[in-house]
Amino acid sequence: MPLSDYEPLFFWIFGLSAIFAGLLTVMARNAVHSALFLISSLVSVAALFVLARAEFIAGVQILVYVGGVMVLFLFVIMLVNVGAEERGTEEIFNNQKQVTASLIFCFILVGGVLYSVNRGYAGLQAKQTTPPDTLAAQQATKDQAYATSGTGSSKITTDSQTLGNSLYRYASLPFEIASVLLLVAIIGSVMLARTLKQEASADDVDLDVLREEIARDPELARVEPPLE
Amino acid sequence: MLNSSIPTLALLFQEAERGRFDQMFQAAAHPDLSKFLVIGALLFIIGVAGVLTRRNIIVIFMSIELILNAANLNFIAFSRYLSQTGNPNALAGQIFTVFVIVVAAAEAAIGLGIVIALYRNKETIWVDEIDLLKW
Repeated sequence: MPLSDYEPLFFWIFGLSAIFAGLLTVMARNAVHSALFLISSLVSVAALFVLARAEFIAGVQILVYVGGVMVLFLFVIMLVNVGAEERGTEEIFNNQKQVTASLIFCFILVGGVLYSVNRGYAGLQAKQTTPPDTLAAQQATKDQAYATSGTGSSKITTDSQTLGNSLYRYASLPFEIASVLLLVAIIGSVMLARTLKQEASADDVDLDVLREEIARDPELARVEPPLE
Repeated sequence: MLNSSIPTLALLFQEAERGRFDQMFQAAAHPDLSKFLVIGALLFIIGVAGVLTRRNIIVIFMSIELILNAANLNFIAFSRYLSQTGNPNALAGQIFTVFVIVVAAAEAAIGLGIVIALYRNKETIWVDEIDLLKW
């Protein structure tokens, strides 16, 4: 994976910032801070995608994750606003024993993963005979061959084009299934997030439960359709 | 004899150290597949640690997003590696990443819907207080 020019520098900057922001996501006391750190981690990973010449995925990552999912997260955090966490009266981690056990598990996991990455990569590298400098030079000439953009200051890659081609050519059925999945997710989340009043107006509450709730909150009796 | 051999040993040691340092510098100056994989692995582990240790259910969801993102990073890195070796199926990694992002979005929508419903009924977001299935 040759990176030319200043790309290795950017790789390390964005890689380390992704890891640090990830750590802070897990360790921040305030959930809003967690969300903001997660956003910076996701943006750093998007930058790594650009370095790996996956420009379209990087754009999708920023649009969908940062623009969509994280905004959803922030809305929900505001909705279930919990002050105790910010004031520091609540413990943010599980009890000591569980944390110790899971951290030991994580260290074993990180050891195993890094060991297997090292070993597997040594095998891959044995097959690769071209030195990294040559590969980087090859990549640079390949990048030069792309069409120049209208302003003349940058190049236009063909990544979106090739990805779209192969997405429709080889993965059109999974693509359609994914759209159905999204539809189901939309309907499901609307169903799940209804209030009791909304459920009652859709006649979707068990009658006994509804009578109990009406005893507590007489407002409910006035929703449509009326109780028989 | 001993006196004369010690500086030689030290020099040898120094030489070996410098060679090692050069090697490390070379490896850092040319980040390859393994560096991407290591960053992906670390992000994954951080996500797992978050899921296992945090009490706030929303932060647990965010850690899951971190895990999925680490998987995406691995897919993209391998896709890049394969395209460099001229493999015709190199774009499969990018295609799969699109689907992972779709599933992550769906999962976040449903999961946050569940969190809202749970908060309405139980007035808590701490996972150790959500123990209806425990006996």
